[in-house]
Amino acid sequence: MNSPSCVYLDYAATTPVEPLVAARMAECLGRDGAFGNPGSTSHIYGEAASERVEAARAEVAATVGAEPAEVIWTSGATEANNLAIFGIAQYNAQVGRHIVTVRTEHKAVLDPCRELERRGWRVTYLTPDRSGVLDPAEVAAALRPDTVLVSVMHVNNEIGVIQDIASIAALCARSGSARLHVDAAQSIGKCAVNFSELGIDLLSLSAHKAYGPKGVGALVVSRARGVQLKPLQYGGGQERALRSGTVATHQVVGMGAAFALVNTAPQDETLRIALLRDRLWDGLRSIGGVLRNGDFKHSVPHLLNVSFEGVEGESLLAAVRPHIAVSTGSACTSITQEPSYVLRALGRDDRLAESSLRFSFGRFSTEADADTAVSVVKRAVERLRRIGGA
Amino acid sequence: MTYNELTRRYFEDACEVAGVLIGPDCFRGASGSRAQGTWVQFDVQVDSNAHPGTVRAVRFQAFACPHIIAVSAWLAEQAPGREIKAQLPESVQSLRERFDVPIPKLGRLLIVEDAWMAALRAAQAARSRGAE
Repeated sequence: MNSPSCVYLDYAATTPVEPLVAARMAECLGRDGAFGNPGSTSHIYGEAASERVEAARAEVAATVGAEPAEVIWTSGATEANNLAIFGIAQYNAQVGRHIVTVRTEHKAVLDPCRELERRGWRVTYLTPDRSGVLDPAEVAAALRPDTVLVSVMHVNNEIGVIQDIASIAALCARSGSARLHVDAAQSIGKCAVNFSELGIDLLSLSAHKAYGPKGVGALVVSRARGVQLKPLQYGGGQERALRSGTVATHQVVGMGAAFALVNTAPQDETLRIALLRDRLWDGLRSIGGVLRNGDFKHSVPHLLNVSFEGVEGESLLAAVRPHIAVSTGSACTSITQEPSYVLRALGRDDRLAESSLRFSFGRFSTEADADTAVSVVKRAVERLRRIGGA
Repeated sequence: MTYNELTRRYFEDACEVAGVLIGPDCFRGASGSRAQGTWVQFDVQVDSNAHPGTVRAVRFQAFACPHIIAVSAWLAEQAPGREIKAQLPESVQSLRERFDVPIPKLGRLLIVEDAWMAALRAAQAARSRGAE
């Protein structure tokens, strides 16, 4: 849908597929394309598909500084997170049953951890500081002889804060038993990720946050560090027997193409996006009573999360919704809203957590988009404050 | 969250009847709390000249979701000319249906009712005192 009256500022939720990516995907679908089963290498159809899959694997690996053989295709970052957490926990069940993670992780990490707790594992949930930054010393203090996994996201999906993965990786390596899993779904194209240099054991990736298709992702599993995990599903033994099932050629080819494009983006694109964010922030702060959520310095350039004092969250969203597409600081179910657990973990009260908006820019964002957002939000906040007598 | 056409309209036009009324013939009622997420206040001005015993004007303030703002705005708009009675012009259930308010928000509608009743009760009491 292309709605000229509604500005899209939710690139952290998902991105449109690049036309070049869509074209490469289409080449794998039809009778004249690489439609074969990539596992059926006994004939040229399967071989052609397999070649595409392996080329895509190499593209993804190159983008994150990994070896192609370390890339395991999944249906997305959620499955990658589940595979990493359950896979490590179950493989090491006799070694230890303690996991360390952070309260501000994505639900795709927290929910598997909660499930493991129900099954008898112990989980330590660390709290970042009020700006969302996790002190590696907190990780060091939480590590125990029976810790088998530390799971810390690279870039937070709500506030954009970047964690010090290199320091945390060094701590895990010293511990001997703890493997480090990093959810990097929000990182690709926004800040550099080098799997081998950072010393990460497992890395979750998503295609659709980086102008690739939905429904595909990957878990990068370090071979150099001998990481072993138990699969979640069994069948044909594809993907080093870690993720059985026919590989969706068009999906992984789309992911490979999207990741390859990340490396060809103009060098000043990051600066352009950062300037858009700063333009938006300058406009919003002029309204008054506006609080920025997350650390200013350690954050990705494309994301801005702010809370508005004296404004009810659902009304704020209802007022801006016809004009700008943004995310809110509340998990909206069909009938009620829950304040963001991420913002609450940062110390924001329920009202401020609910009255927050997440703006995220992307490849197609313009200065006019930022200006529209400022004017729409300013009008809504002033109107709601007048109604509320604030 | 989706809203019916009436809710959208009154939410968007709420500013027209939002505000406060101050004066010897104005009476206030409020309920709820901002900290809890819903707060509503009504100011009722009684007509003591042309049509004694009736409401002259109502203004409201609300820190609330679109449904509650819309209902409050509708009540304020409907009130002028009505007899001063400490009750809603229609039942909470009827308001819920009219504005398609989700059942889990029923408690918020009761906050509107409490604020409305408090303002009208204050107006009624003052009128009774005046008649004595």
